[in-house]
Amino acid sequence: MSFSRLRVIFPIGLFVALFLDGSLSNVFAGHLFSYPYASVLHLTLLWLVFAVFLDDHDALPVGIWATFVGLVFDWYYTGVFGVYMVGLPLIVYLCRQIKPWLDLNFLTLLMIYIINLTILEAFTYIWYTMGHVISSSLADFAVYTLGPTIAVNLAIFVILYYPMRRLYLSVI
Amino acid sequence: MQKFFSNRKLVIAIVIFIISFGLMSVSVAIRDKKSTPPLIQQFGNDVAGAVDRVIAWPVNGLQSATNSVSDLLNTYQENQKLKKQVDQLAQAKVSAQTTRAENKQLRKELKLNDSLSDYTTVTANVLTRTPSSWMNQLVISKGATAGVKKNMPVMSQSGLIGRVVEVNQTNSKVELISNTSSSANKFAIQITNSAGKTVNGIISGYDKSSNLLEMGSVTSNVKIKKGDKVVTSGLGGNTPKGLYVGKVSKVKQDDYGLASEVEITPAADLSDLTVVTVAEQ
Repeated sequence: MSFSRLRVIFPIGLFVALFLDGSLSNVFAGHLFSYPYASVLHLTLLWLVFAVFLDDHDALPVGIWATFVGLVFDWYYTGVFGVYMVGLPLIVYLCRQIKPWLDLNFLTLLMIYIINLTILEAFTYIWYTMGHVISSSLADFAVYTLGPTIAVNLAIFVILYYPMRRLYLSVI
Repeated sequence: MQKFFSNRKLVIAIVIFIISFGLMSVSVAIRDKKSTPPLIQQFGNDVAGAVDRVIAWPVNGLQSATNSVSDLLNTYQENQKLKKQVDQLAQAKVSAQTTRAENKQLRKELKLNDSLSDYTTVTANVLTRTPSSWMNQLVISKGATAGVKKNMPVMSQSGLIGRVVEVNQTNSKVELISNTSSSANKFAIQITNSAGKTVNGIISGYDKSSNLLEMGSVTSNVKIKKGDKVVTSGLGGNTPKGLYVGKVSKVKQDDYGLASEVEITPAADLSDLTVVTVAEQ
């Protein structure tokens, strides 16, 4: 009975995270996008990763929601379809694959999250480069985007880990 | 894990990647067309925009609250500084009014009705910014119903910030001038030096590391100095004449030594945008 509550909370939180990504990026643009550095907020990805790893029953349809939220991201934020729509479910799939091999705790999840951030950022970088949406060198990407992005998102992860775990433990 | 490369999964993976790449290529190919975005895409954007308004409202409220506090702390110094400026402004305003009236009269005599520098404006709130380092885009709260059209230039209070790239019914997307994408539209600009001579050109790029706009391939002999003002030239048809872009910060030879390249400090702060103005010719 209590489990169905998570089925409602999860998608709502997902979309709140999606739109918060954009609003917070705008409000804190002076800090996040202080040239040449660009740190990209990934609250949506964080929400998905928590859902995959903290939900012990694997009962949430995370993959489908990831595809949908990725579609909305492409639709509303960039206007270039097919990038986050594939990137986010890809992350969910990879997480599901490695989950059985892991002894889950704060540090392993932190490592997983770093890897996920790298994969998603690299995926979007490669995709946009191949589609001639952007022209940026690999060195610029690694130094100016990937580094700051990981730093900022890890800080957010550390702040949100325990509240989120409590949420999942209390709901299940 | 070792089953990953079994045939079925590999085929599915390849199909997904092809679909994804195809979708991206199509949307990149059609995004510059006049009819884009199609109705269904507009509808999706309008729905997303409506939801976003609900979530962005408290966040923006928080921002304006903190802004008011910091404003309050600076009030005294700012007031003193502004008092000095007000006296000069009153004079400038009167002289601008007379000049405008005279200009109108002279134009009437020449039967010159529409000039390049006429434009009306639409003011909009910034709803959100694309959370990506690749797309320097904003979503603003006015769309086709308010008269926004594709390719219109967008300004903040202090100067040009970008161009409308996608128009929906109730919101639209703005591409900032800091966008380095190869498909970005370039603005036609002109630099006027202290002797009153002008150099025309286009914004050819943006230097991320120094936050400067570049105007390349300048072959004119007109001397340009640091501090000369840069405005849009109105050539090319989309942009009205005389929108303030910034000031010249450096003039240097380009890589081949044949033409010079002008670096421009943009007047607008691209990282602090809450209200923008769309100029409509």
